[in-house]
Formats: sequence, structure tokens, C-alpha cells
Amino acid sequence: MTTPPNVPIEPRKGDVHTYDIPSTILDSAGDVHVGLQRDAVRPPSEDEILRVQDLTVEFPTEDGVVHAVRGVSYSLREREVLGIVGESGSGKSVSSMAVMGLLPKSARIKGQILFRGDDMLKMSPRKQRSLRGRKIAMIFQDPMTALNPVHTVGDQLAEAVLAHELMPRKTALARAKEMLDLVGIPQAEARLRSYPHEFSGGMRQRAMIAMAVINNPDVIIADEPTTALDVTVQAQILEKLLEVKDAVNAAIVLITHDLGVIAGMAHRVLVMYAGRPVEIGETDPVFEEPRMPYTAGLLGSIPSLENSGSRLRPIKGTPPSLINLPTGCPFSPRCPLADEVCRTAEPELAETDGGGHFAACHHWDRLAAVEDPTVFFRTESETKA
Amino acid sequence: MIVFIARRLVISFFVLLAATFIIYVLTAFAGDPLEDLRQDNSPQKLTKIAERSERMQLDVPVVLRYLGWLGRIVRGDLGVNRDGQALAPILSDALSATLQLVLAATVLAITVGIVIGIISALRQYSGFDYTVTFAAFICFSLPLFWVAVMLKQYVAIEFNNWLKDPVIPPVVIGALALLGGLIFGALTVGDRRRRLVAFAVGLVVSGALFTILSVTRWFADPGLGTPLILAFGLATAVGFTALAAGLQYRGPLYAALAAAVIGAICSQVLGPVLADPTWLEIGGLLLLTIAVCLGLGYALGGLQRRQAMTAATLTGVFTGAMVFLDRMLQAFAGFSASVRHRPVSTIGARTPNYQGDFWQTGLDSAGHLLLPTLALILISLATYTRFSRASMLEVMNQDYVRTARAKGLPERTVVLKHAFRNGLIPVTTMMAFDLAGVIGGAVVTENVFGWRGMGFMFTKGLQEVDPGPVMAFFIVTGTAVVVFNMIADILYAYLDPRIRLS
Amino acid sequence: MTLSADTQAPDGAVEQGMTIVARTQAQMVRRRFFRHRAALAGMIVFGLVLVLAFSSIGFAGIPGWWDQSYITTGALVNQGKPTLSLSPFSIGDHPFGQDDIGVDYFAKTMRGVQQSIIVAFLVGIVATLVGAIVGAVAGYYRGRVEAVLMRVTDVMITIPVLVIAAVLGRRFGDAGVVPLGIVLGLTIWPTMARLLRGEFLSLREKEFVEAARAVGTPARRIIFRHILPNTIGVIVVSATLATANAVLLESALSFLGLGVQAPDTSLGQLINEYRTAFSTRPWLFWWPGIFIIAIALSINFIGDGLRDAFDPRQTRVRA
Repeated sequence: MTTPPNVPIEPRKGDVHTYDIPSTILDSAGDVHVGLQRDAVRPPSEDEILRVQDLTVEFPTEDGVVHAVRGVSYSLREREVLGIVGESGSGKSVSSMAVMGLLPKSARIKGQILFRGDDMLKMSPRKQRSLRGRKIAMIFQDPMTALNPVHTVGDQLAEAVLAHELMPRKTALARAKEMLDLVGIPQAEARLRSYPHEFSGGMRQRAMIAMAVINNPDVIIADEPTTALDVTVQAQILEKLLEVKDAVNAAIVLITHDLGVIAGMAHRVLVMYAGRPVEIGETDPVFEEPRMPYTAGLLGSIPSLENSGSRLRPIKGTPPSLINLPTGCPFSPRCPLADEVCRTAEPELAETDGGGHFAACHHWDRLAAVEDPTVFFRTESETKA
Repeated sequence: MIVFIARRLVISFFVLLAATFIIYVLTAFAGDPLEDLRQDNSPQKLTKIAERSERMQLDVPVVLRYLGWLGRIVRGDLGVNRDGQALAPILSDALSATLQLVLAATVLAITVGIVIGIISALRQYSGFDYTVTFAAFICFSLPLFWVAVMLKQYVAIEFNNWLKDPVIPPVVIGALALLGGLIFGALTVGDRRRRLVAFAVGLVVSGALFTILSVTRWFADPGLGTPLILAFGLATAVGFTALAAGLQYRGPLYAALAAAVIGAICSQVLGPVLADPTWLEIGGLLLLTIAVCLGLGYALGGLQRRQAMTAATLTGVFTGAMVFLDRMLQAFAGFSASVRHRPVSTIGARTPNYQGDFWQTGLDSAGHLLLPTLALILISLATYTRFSRASMLEVMNQDYVRTARAKGLPERTVVLKHAFRNGLIPVTTMMAFDLAGVIGGAVVTENVFGWRGMGFMFTKGLQEVDPGPVMAFFIVTGTAVVVFNMIADILYAYLDPRIRLS
Repeated sequence: MTLSADTQAPDGAVEQGMTIVARTQAQMVRRRFFRHRAALAGMIVFGLVLVLAFSSIGFAGIPGWWDQSYITTGALVNQGKPTLSLSPFSIGDHPFGQDDIGVDYFAKTMRGVQQSIIVAFLVGIVATLVGAIVGAVAGYYRGRVEAVLMRVTDVMITIPVLVIAAVLGRRFGDAGVVPLGIVLGLTIWPTMARLLRGEFLSLREKEFVEAARAVGTPARRIIFRHILPNTIGVIVVSATLATANAVLLESALSFLGLGVQAPDTSLGQLINEYRTAFSTRPWLFWWPGIFIIAIALSINFIGDGLRDAFDPRQTRVRA
């Protein structure tokens, strides 16, 4: 597995965790859950800051109920980087918007979102608001639209501070300048008075990063932070994100569809498909030995230097409609390994190789049996050749 | 910015010039200006025809006549109508009445429309939203003249009759209470129980209010009095503070409360000054109020100085307006008696030869303006409501509003600082369009209410195929539209830095 | 290094759960329109008014089922009061009453409805045609053509609609409803032109237009074949709203005595004719007013339904 030249391989910061998964897992209330393996979350630990448990999100629409997220669980420890990867519509953004409390009122949210043990879904709106932007901050996909065009950058940064702490405006602006310096915007003092449209895309995303870390948050949720940017700028922004994360000692939930970014940055990765986690584990084992055909398919559809001579192997078909889900494994219509079992029973997340590597596949052992799991996605002509 | 305005001015000037040409030529061809004389059987028929043809230069080609008119206009001469009367004095008489009507209608429609539109957007899919939407559609579909005639019949005549003995019948009190309850209920969001409680509260409060008004015959001799002014002032102080700064910090709240108290005290102290003031004095008092309130906000605001200044100023101006209203209401009984107990007028822009102090003449023009304005704002009100609702809904879905929420800002700041200002931008472009509509509406309204204003001047001129008065009307209204366009452009640039800097 | 999933449908796309219900745009528009209850009600009311007006007194020489004429006078029955009663339901001789000289007011109102609807539709059609062409040409060609056309539009917008309509109405009002409808249509096109220009400005930058240009498609064909069909929603919606406005504009002009002239009639002209009779014969005032509101409201609701149907997210409001 190689990454393309445009994404620098950063040494992953923080400790490498090893996890011992008992067959019984304690839930937040301390009750023993037997056989709750599909949660695939680690046992509660001292330095755990965020735990999402059995999160489901549904949107009633005129065409039926959209099951956007169907039971997501993960946990995040201090200074950890968790990558969430999946196609658009896989529920990766919706689940993180639920953590931020930014979903529209019509959304039906179930499950638990525990920030340092407190369930955010049960908090008063005021308490929730006091966490938002102060303890959990978010960086959005499109910096062109995420900043308000009619207020200055300095004003928008300062108000993030003033929202949580009463202080003179001057102090807040000084803080904002400090942050612009930190994210590498030159002439920060003057730039405070600029409007967003005077910034380039990369600078706006830097400003967004500055806004996210201005209150020293514990968790930063970055929702496809580089998708809307030029390729040349992407690497700089990611590098800056890691640098800033270390400066404020925050953990990151990094949502992306770019596997290279995950490979370069994340300690652990969560693969989502049709609103469900289908594979979770530490980044290297997941990427080197995928135990879910979907992950294997994703890896096979990436161009890389190693296989530059051969063809790309796209996954055929489209993700299923979230309104009218198929019975069985949602990936089965597109899966080369699918059989009758897959079409009738939806597989649970189950531990595969140990070491916290979980996958939701009836046939993960068939993937384990071959050297290169992407082989199943070879096109006919390729197989013939 | 100055270059921007200058460029717009030059373009607008030529646009206006072209428009005058079109109107002049079309009016000249709109019919036969001698029609009435041709049917005249008097012996001087031919002399009259010759005289009018001479005055209107009917033998000269239209284009040359237009150029002649243009030449005179440049020198500030409006010319004469077809009967030889100078137009300038007629216009100046007509102007103030129409301007009052158009301005009052526009300003009211903009403020009320935007407020309703925003509430409706923030309460999307609530009972209030549906009601407002439906009402807006009704307003779009009402013929203005029909509404005006109805208002004249039912509001003016019936209301004046009722004012002689202002007892509200129990049935009407019941209906008003029900309406109050429904409004409270529709504005409340939440589950059914909360809405039922709000409905009950609204029902009781408005029922009690109208019963008291009826029993005390408040409408016969209305007024507020210092205690009520103080109560309303304090309530608005809390409201404006909640809007501008939130209630968790004390500074802004104290500043606003102080503004309300000072306002209420002034209603007593300023008695002699307010006995018979001039508009100039009222304006001076307004400026003084603003200055004092800004000072209060600055002194008491602490770390939230800006918000405190806003809250205090809004409270102060509102309390001032209450004092003003109180004075006006106190003058009502005397005024009503002086116009034979028919305060809501149906004809003309003012009572002929009316003599009275500041408050009474004020009431007189208010009584005359009431119905035409009411008729005139209906359509604009609906337009602004729909437009600002749509604009607000669109803005509330923008990414930057989501960013603002993600920062942990309170909803008040999200709406007022991030959504409202962006939502206003498209509304400004609406304003210039709408003014043209209001002017057209004024023509109809003046016709129904028998105002001898600009609209009357226009219709009469048009009926007589006389370009003089039609052009005098158009010069004023066309300029008004252009100026309003200008204001809208400047406002747009002020609100949107992307325009300002390019 | 981006995840790619090609969108080509898998073999046997009908597999369970994989069926993405594909609807054509026309189907979707129809479906959403008929879900809009107010629009449906508007459609029914408008249909009823249309049928009632044209079938009752007949049209263009074809006789209708109503035996009274809107011209001939008759003896006043019951001081001309309406004979319509709902319980027990009976129409009577003069359901809407009679005017001061004994003309059947039902027939007269129906004639007014016919005339007003004809004017409104002509206005809608003419304004849409002119506005669409001006907007399309200005938006497509840009440059000098656009500048000239938009200045012309500016000039038109500076003049309040009622003013220019009144001036033209004074000249063409007594020539009959057809000329009146056409000239009024010539006054209210700028709104449509502006809207459509905006649409063209954004559409002309789209890839499919560039593609058409790249293969040498003539400009006229690009405008009419490639871009215009994509603006059909905007055109249909604003044409509907223009028609609703035209009903009100015509009645306002006729009310001022600058539109349809007696002895011919229209709803606004009827209200104008009998405005002084309001205290003595209020029904002469009520009936035409009710019909104006019914027509304008139902067309407005249809327009709203169409807007929702063509673009549920479209938030543009009539300008």
C-alpha cells in the first residue's frame, strides 16, 4: 500500500494503542453487555474523551424514512486520530453532525454520545452549546461557504471566543491574531480586518482551523477538510492540522473519502457503508489485510505507483438507497463474494484477526486466505489476461 | 464607492430621460385632447379649440413638443395644463399629501413585512407560518380598489359610529380573545401541551385587556399614563436586552432598564415642552434620547458595551415613541369633538381649514392617512413578508450559519448577526421594485379616497390627454424610483462587502 | 487517490434494494404539483369559474344555457336584489340581482369574467414571449446586446407599471379586450426578462452549453434547443404569476376608467360603474369583487404549486 506523492506520510503522532477486547463490554452505565461485539468499541479507559454508542439517525422525508446512520459505535482517546471513511451517503458526515448537535430538528437521533462520560443527547441545550466550539470543534468541508461573507475574519474568530467567555473584544482579537499566526497566515494583524472573499481557499481553511482551535478544544471533527481545495494546498492544510492538533493537545475525528489521507494521518480507521460501520481497526492492519470486501474494493479502486501499469478496479454498482435497504448485507448486490447467506442475513461486526480489528462480513476468512484481497474486484478482461 | 454611486447616477439620469420621452409621446397619442370641445355646442367652440390647440402646440410634431417641454423642465419650469393653469403650485400641493402616503406605506410595509417574514421563517411549518403564507396569498390576490372601498364603508363609517359609544360587545371581546389565544398558540413551538398553555394565556390576557378597555370606555378618551409607559418601557428593555445581548450578564440589562425609567420620568417632566411642540423640537428630543441612551450603554455596559448601547438606544427610542403616542392619544377626545366625532376620515388628505395644536393636526392627518395607508400596504406587506421569509429560509440553510452554530453561539446571535444581515441583502433589491408598485397603488387609492394628490393629477391629466400634469407626476415619481433604487444599491453595498470593495 | 465507484448500473439493477425509483422530470413535476393541495384547489376553482363564465352566457356567438342577456334591460324584480338562495337552494330569475336599469347582473358578471380572463391570458402570453426573448438574448449574448436590452428594461422598470399601463389603456381601452391585452402585456415583460436573463447567465456557463458551442451549434439553436428548455420552470411559474397580476392590473385600470370602456364590460369596469351604488345596492359591488379575488387567488395558488413542483428548493419570490 503506497500513498501518492501528493500526500506526505506523516509519522503518526501519539502512542500506538494495543487493545485487549473482552467478550463482555461495560456500557456507560456500568452494566455488563454480553455479546455486544458489533459495537467493537474499546473498554472505557482513563483517557477516553468521546464515545459514540449505538448511534442511529433517521430523517423522515416525503418518500419514506431515510436511515442515514444505523448503529455506529466508536471511541476516541486523547490526542488520537480516528479516520472515518466511506462513500458519500454512507453516514459518516451525519454521524459527526450528530456529535456536534447540528442536525436539523426533523432528525430522529437514538443512542448515546458521551463526552467525558456525559451523554450530550440528554444535556440541556445550553450545556450542549457550551461544549460546542469550546470542547468539541468542527472544521467543514467547503471553506468557501463556511465563513460568513459579511463579517470580517477577525470578527468571526473573536466571536468564537466571546461566545464562551466574557472578555474585552480587544483580548479576543489578540487571541484571534495569535491563532492566525499559528495556522501560518502571514500578516495576521492586518488579515483580521479582511473579509473572507479576500482570502484564497487554502487561507480560508486555515482560518477555519484557527477558529476550531481558538478555544483549545479536546476534540476536533474535520469533515473532509481538504476535499474542496487544490491538490497542492491539501497537503499543507493536513500538515497544519496535525501541527495545530499537537499544539492544543486535541484528538481528531477525520472524515474523508480519501484513503491516502487516512493512511498518512489516522491511528485507527472506521469504514462505513450504507449507514453502518463495516470495518474498524488500526489503520495499518485494516489497509494491509482488509477483512471486508468493501474495504478491499476501495483499496483496489485507488491508483498507486505500485500498480500503475495495471488497470483500476472500480467497485461496480451504486450504494443502496437508504430508504429502501436490501435485506442481508447492504453491500451484497455489489460484492463479488456474495452468496445466499449474504442476501438474507446482515452480518454483525465481529472480531477477525484480534488486535481490535473488526469487520462485518460473513466471508472475511475468504479474504484472509488470499495474498491480495483486491483480486476479487478484477475485471473479466483482466482475469482472462 | 463614490465612483460606484456616480456611475449609477449617470446611468439613472439617462434611463429617466428615456422614460420621460416614452411617457410624453404615449400620453400625447393617448387620445384626442379636444374631444370635450368638439362636442361643445356653445358659440365660442371654434375659438376655444383654437385657443387650446395654440396652448398645447397641437400643430407642432410630438418630438419637438417633447424637446420644448424638456427645455422648460431644465430651467425648472413645469409649464401649464391645458386650461392654462401653472402646474408648479398644483404639484406642490399634491406632492406632500402623496409623499406622506407613499412613504408611510413603504416604511410600514418594509419594517412589518420583514419582521413577520423572519418570524415566519424561523417558525417554519408552524400555525403562524401557514397563516402568514395564506394571508400573503390573499393579499396578492386582492384588488386594491376593492379593499379601499370596503375599508371606507366598514372601517371608517362603522368604526366612527362605534366610537361614539365605545363599548365592545361581549361577542367581539370573545372573538378578540380567541384571536389573541390563537396568535400566542401559533407562535409557540413545542409539544401540544405547551401550545395549549400558550393559547390559554393568550386567551385570558387579551380577553381581560379588551374587557378593561371596554368597561373604562378607553377609546372615548384614550391615553397611556406614566405607569403604563413605565411598564411597557421596562418590558421592552428586557426584550431588547434579550435580543441584543442575552440576559446572562447584567450590564446591558441595567443600561436598558435605566433608559426605560428615564423615559418614563421624562413623560412627566417634559410636560411644558410637549404641550405644543414643533416637528423640529420632536426631532431634537429624539436625538437627545439617542445620545443619553448611548451614554448609558457606554457607562453601564461593562464588557458588553456595544450590546448595551444597542439595547439602551432601542429601549429609549421605543419609550420615547410611547410618550409621543400617549400625548397624541390624550389629544384624541378634543380632536374627535372638533371633527364632529368622525376621526377616521374617508375623503381628502386633511380636513379643510382645520385649526389645532401640534397633536390635533397630527391626529387629523393620521385620521386621513389611516385608511389609504392600510389599503396601500397590504400588497407590499405581503411581498416583503414572502420575500424576507424565502430569503431567511435560504440563508438559514447556508454553511456559515452552521459554522456559527458549531462555534457554540447562542441562537439569538446566529439569527441576528449571521442570518439576518445576509437575509436582508436580497430584500434591498426588492425595495426599488416595490416603490414603483406603491406609487401605482397610490394612484388608485387616491382615486377611491378622493385625495387631490399626485395620483389625481395623473389620472385627470391622462383623461384630458394633457401631457403637462402627467409629466409633472412622472418627473416626481420617476425621480423617487431612481432615488430609491440608489438607496437600495447603497444599502446593498453596505450590507455586502463583496460589492463594496469591487 | 480518491475513492471511485462508477455509477453504471449493475446488471440486474432491479435487485432488491437497488431500485432507485427513476422518474422523468415531467413525472416528478406532476407528482409534486398534485401533492400541493392549495394548487389543486386553485385549479378546481379556476376551472369552475372558467366553465361557468363561458358556458352560461355563451361566447363568440355560440349561445349558452343562461337565458338572460348582459345587455337587455328588464323589469326590476324585488328592487333588483339577488334571488340566489342557498337553503332551500334556488337560483331564481336573477341570482346575482339586477343593476339599476334592470339588466341581469349574473349575465353581466359572467361577461366581465370572460373579458377579464381574456385580457389576463393575453397579457400573460405577450409578456412571457417578449420577456423570455429579451431575457434570453441578453443573457446569452452578453456584451453590447445585453447592455442595450437591459437599459431598455431599466427604462421600463423606472415607470410604474400602472402608469404606463394607464397611458396605454387610455389609448387602447375602447378598442376591445384583445388590443388592450396585447398592449398591457407589452408593459409588464421586464420582470420576466430580468429573471430569465439571470437564468441564462448561469446556464450559458454550464458544460453542456460549452459542449454545444464547441461542436459549432449555431447560437439560435443553443438558445432555443439547449438553454431555453432548462428554464421552462422559471418561465411557466412567472407566466402564471404574471397572469394573476394581469387580472388585478386590468381591473384596476378599468376601475380608473382607463381600461375596458362601457358599454363593454369587465370586472373592474363593473366595480367602477357601480361604486357609488355601494350603500344602496351592495351586491353590484360584491359579485365582481368576489370573482376577481377567486380568479387571482386560484391562479396564484396554481403558480405556487408549479414553483414547488418545478423546483422544491427554489425560493425566488415574485419581484
